[in-house]
Amino acid sequence: MSHILPHLLNGLSLGLLFALIALGFMLIVSVMEVINLSHGSLFALGAYFALVVIDPDFAWLGSFGEAYRALPLPARYGLAFLIAPALVAVVGMGLEVCMRRTYGKKAEYGLLLTFGAALVIEETIRVLWGPSEQYLQVPRDISGAFLFGGLIYSKYKLYAALFAAIAIGLVWLFLERTPYGAIIKAGAHDSEMVRALGINLTRLRLLVFGLGAGLAGFAGIVLTPIWGLRPHVGIDAVIPAFLIIVLGGIGSFSGAVTGGILVGLAVGITGAYASDWSLLSMYLLLIAVVTVRARGLFGKKSVLEA
Amino acid sequence: MAPRQSFAGRWVPGEMALLFVLMATLPLWIGPVGLYQYLGIEIAIWMIYGLGYNLLLGYSGLPSFGHGAFFGIGAYAFGLFQLRVFESLWLGMVCAVVAAAVAGAFVACFLSHRRGIYFALLTIAFGQVFWFVSIKWHAVTGGEDGLLNIPRPALELGVISPALSTNADFFYFVLFVLAVVTVLLWRLVHSPFGKVLQAIRQNEERARFVGYNVWLFKWAAFTLSAAIAGLAGSLFSMAQQSAYPDVMSLHASGIIVMMTLIGGGFVSFWGPVIGVAVYFVARDVLGTLTETWLLWFGLVFVLAVIFKPEGIAGAWQEFTGAKGRHALARRAMAGLISAGRK
Amino acid sequence: MALFEARGIHKRFGRQVVLERIDLSFEAGRLSGIMGPNGAGKTTCFNVLTGRFKPDRGRVVFDGEDITGLSPSAIARKGIARSFQIMSLFDEYSALENIVIALPDVRARGFNMIDSLSADSEAADRAAAVLARVGLAGREHRRAGDLAYGERRALEVGVALAARPRLLFLDEPTSGLGTEATARLADLVQDLKRDHSIVVIEHDMQFLFGLADTISVIHWGQVVAAGTPDALRENKWVQRSTLGAPP
Repeated sequence: MSHILPHLLNGLSLGLLFALIALGFMLIVSVMEVINLSHGSLFALGAYFALVVIDPDFAWLGSFGEAYRALPLPARYGLAFLIAPALVAVVGMGLEVCMRRTYGKKAEYGLLLTFGAALVIEETIRVLWGPSEQYLQVPRDISGAFLFGGLIYSKYKLYAALFAAIAIGLVWLFLERTPYGAIIKAGAHDSEMVRALGINLTRLRLLVFGLGAGLAGFAGIVLTPIWGLRPHVGIDAVIPAFLIIVLGGIGSFSGAVTGGILVGLAVGITGAYASDWSLLSMYLLLIAVVTVRARGLFGKKSVLEA
Repeated sequence: MAPRQSFAGRWVPGEMALLFVLMATLPLWIGPVGLYQYLGIEIAIWMIYGLGYNLLLGYSGLPSFGHGAFFGIGAYAFGLFQLRVFESLWLGMVCAVVAAAVAGAFVACFLSHRRGIYFALLTIAFGQVFWFVSIKWHAVTGGEDGLLNIPRPALELGVISPALSTNADFFYFVLFVLAVVTVLLWRLVHSPFGKVLQAIRQNEERARFVGYNVWLFKWAAFTLSAAIAGLAGSLFSMAQQSAYPDVMSLHASGIIVMMTLIGGGFVSFWGPVIGVAVYFVARDVLGTLTETWLLWFGLVFVLAVIFKPEGIAGAWQEFTGAKGRHALARRAMAGLISAGRK
Repeated sequence: MALFEARGIHKRFGRQVVLERIDLSFEAGRLSGIMGPNGAGKTTCFNVLTGRFKPDRGRVVFDGEDITGLSPSAIARKGIARSFQIMSLFDEYSALENIVIALPDVRARGFNMIDSLSADSEAADRAAAVLARVGLAGREHRRAGDLAYGERRALEVGVALAARPRLLFLDEPTSGLGTEATARLADLVQDLKRDHSIVVIEHDMQFLFGLADTISVIHWGQVVAAGTPDALRENKWVQRSTLGAPP
């Protein structure tokens, strides 16, 4: 039992990170009824924005730039956590505005538009930051390694899981304890009802897309120090997000979190025995669950199926 | 039944003849316009792939986002047959088609009672499984490098067997396959089977209550579409003389959706044909002008989805007025009626 | 024995009991009506009888054969056709194509992948005859989505009729129609009655009392009264379940 414990821990922290990626995706798919294929690109974009915030290299910033760059890394790192997701949220809102013409048409159009947006964002990243791998700096206090029970752990991985847990908790508070959260939850189950309640659907969609995109960007900052930062890193993020949402059930917060942790555990445990195949386990898990439970673990019948 | 009865009933309608003439004469004019022979092969292969894919997307309304898997399975199956069994063109192609069809039939068992978003997500999941296996199963697939040095067998025609080693010869072989597939699919979409698929797309519930086993039709459409993707994949592995995981990635699967849509697969049989040609020409023409051609192509695609989701074929129909005038008249009528109600 | 019998049908959604011990029987060659107020369970009852939902308990027997729990398509192939209250057509197809796709012999060769369906003039002729019967002659090549509301109602009946059903279920065929259009539809159903066994759900009393041979009244998920229109006129449930007095 003891030899599997590190893998369980590893899987759990990975699961929290997966859940974090899936969260923004879940918000958008459940309220907007749109599969946001650009989720991964927004994820990458968040990390690239953070790169700029942490280490801006603009000559025109002049003395301000020099003063800013003299700030300690933790301060700049903290700022990146605020600014970069906000910028990604703005991009997401812009995308939502573009999407308006597809509402009420076939669901495929939303899918295709976001696929096109993913291409555009990824290529833009390539143009602005180049195709090669970059590194997102992390303050020394939370990086490095430590020994525990005779095994070496990456300190950052634990911190990343902690960040993910905090973000998940905040989203949960937002959904459960604020009036807007209640509306979003209602929309997740029944957009007709939201309309009937006389809520400004246009504003709700804009907000939800912004929030979902912002969460994607946040996840990007947390995860890319582990995964590395490439223009196409988003694909590594968007695929687990899909699987987790289907696994957990569309429109369910607890489904997304449970699904994320299950996938993380599956990957972690498989990693212990057949590391080459560790990612395959999440696909097999999904297929197994969905074969038995058509709408995933926590899914309710969705308007999307009509 | 429809006003264009005789047109639909024919084996080779005007547009198809035009396609065949354009493609058959391609070696004569592709050089002078500044492109190259191999492009014709790529276009013809992807046309087969796209036409088969549109059976699913446009005709059955089933948005598969993992179709690259079946293209890849076809490519690998053909390559493995040549490398491990023996060199044979026809048997290799049969093997590719059967492998893709079996994989498609298996996957379709999990998908055929789904629609909309769950269908799309599950196709992505299955597509990823195949892609992942192709990368990891080194012993069979050669891992990330794929299968290399796949021979391009000679065309066995009983008495004679001409070599297909030059791209010029191979092009005509691909063109022949394209012609066969196009004619058969054209027949299929106008057959009772094709009409039932379209009826299911429009109203699955009603189709069921009219007495159609909707599950079986969806399953058959998926399997058939996978088989055609496998056929295209076998040609691809001959063209590249290799098979690799890239064609199975989510990105590649998305590209075929994009080609089909941008051409107008939702409104026309010819949508994927147009889309494939536009994509490859754009890639080569824009690609010589700018490194970032995919950015511009992506932007055009986004604008197309926003403003002209019916694609190029849809724009053409509106321009020539075939359907456009009716649509305009409809809109005008709807306006009058709603005005009258007020 | 009746052509179609439902015995002791129960259906619940979650905790809510929607149908409770429903017994119905429909005779061949007759027009049977089902009436009741909104929310009484009429449409759920129809959905159970035609296979959309499986009943929790009870049997459905058609022509001596137990069809309980069969799929909608299997039930349709046995010779039961239905129309829908919320219109359910193939909107992008022409009126004619809507009918053609529902013809039994087209259904029989649904997996034919080579022959052109639109070149099948025999099927087209038969479909045109069905259209003419429901009063849509001259509308063959209009897209179903472009037809006027009343015409769509008629096509809705036409698609069910195309299957040459041995038993025809009509779910609120007059829903949303004006007085004149309702009268036309009554004429159509009167005409269909000559050679079809029909079951109609209606809340339009006048419509039903003028056409039906027998009527079952459903209230709170139960059959509370059944009989000929004449026998039912004085029934308290009938009076309670309608707004005005029966004709």
